[in-house]
Amino acid sequence: MIRVNIVDLKPGMVLARAVQNQQGVLLLDAGTKITKKNIRIFKSWGVNEFSVKGELNSPKTGGETPEAEMRDAVEMELKAKFSDVMNDPVMVEIFKAASKQLMKDLPKIENEKENSRPKKNYR
Amino acid sequence: MKKRIPDPKKIIDRIDDLPTLPRTVLKITELVNDPKSSAKDLARVITDDQILTARLLKLVNSSFYGIPQRISTVTGAIVLIGFDAIRNLLLTTSVFDLFADRNRKNQQKQEKFWDHSLGCAVGAKVIGNYLRHDSIEELFVAGLLHDIGKIVEMMFQPVEFSKIVAAISRENILMLTAENKIMGYNHAEIGKLLAEKWNLPAKLVQIIAHHHQPKDAGSFAMEAAIVHLADIFCRALNMGFGGDNTIPPLDRFAWQSLKIQTSAIESIMETMQDEYGDIRSFIS
Repeated sequence: MIRVNIVDLKPGMVLARAVQNQQGVLLLDAGTKITKKNIRIFKSWGVNEFSVKGELNSPKTGGETPEAEMRDAVEMELKAKFSDVMNDPVMVEIFKAASKQLMKDLPKIENEKENSRPKKNYR
Repeated sequence: MKKRIPDPKKIIDRIDDLPTLPRTVLKITELVNDPKSSAKDLARVITDDQILTARLLKLVNSSFYGIPQRISTVTGAIVLIGFDAIRNLLLTTSVFDLFADRNRKNQQKQEKFWDHSLGCAVGAKVIGNYLRHDSIEELFVAGLLHDIGKIVEMMFQPVEFSKIVAAISRENILMLTAENKIMGYNHAEIGKLLAEKWNLPAKLVQIIAHHHQPKDAGSFAMEAAIVHLADIFCRALNMGFGGDNTIPPLDRFAWQSLKIQTSAIESIMETMQDEYGDIRSFIS
């Protein structure tokens, strides 16, 4: 489980704990995969801290970047989805194409974020 | 354990408050089917409804249609995108309305279902374009409605639905399998009955009924195959959630009959993503 700030929350991350607003109303259950829309909603509710599934690849010591972590997460999730159909060569092609598209979506979010808020510093 | 396998037709009949299409949409469908009606007749009916008017103008001005100049009148919109497109647009937004806000408890799940449907609709449109299919609009609506049976289950058969959801995770099976196991029938059959009840065109009924086995759709097998493939593409691209944790297998017949080059998959998906983002902003 990793604790992340709203600025580091990315679509595709999976919630390790349920997200509630300040009034304690459940916004999203644990186990849910985050979407862009969810992030927008969290921002509008002013929720800042989240627990997401995964292991901390210690960005503090200059390990993997959050972007690389995200890419891994996306790839892992897609692999799980395709697990029953990878014996079909066409499905393998579909998997590859989808993976490429989903990756492309990631840096775009990064840029939007950088424009709107200062990047969080990792020491 | 008590086991009863009800007939899906009975279920549909039992649900008295099963949504019916609004009168405006029925009137518009009538006008579209009548060769004597003019764009003006159609515009009169649409402009009576402010919400429909606003939606129509928003859609024609979105990049979904890619028209360079701004369209500001309903008649202009009708002339530009055509009667069938209008009917499909109104069908689309009305179906969304019908099922909205009925059950707060399921709202989030329902939204994800709609995102899945929308993803499939966009996929069917993009694949249709790639194949130079002649009725793109209809493919879009077919994609949108392909899982309508699931929405019916969610809203009107909550007990069975929660059993199905539980079985999917517990036994690691596809939703279709779980439905057949628990209810003895599935969302494709429910969807078909609803589509018939709504008097939707035979093509739509057949696509909804056979989107898992396209070749059973007879003369509409090609269209069913397009929706089948779009269904897989939109799941792969994480567009919404259709109830399955894993991606169902690609139907051999569907893939072979469409004759799509594997090298084209990437550009189809890219277009899908662009259009999906765009259209979501006007529907939701």
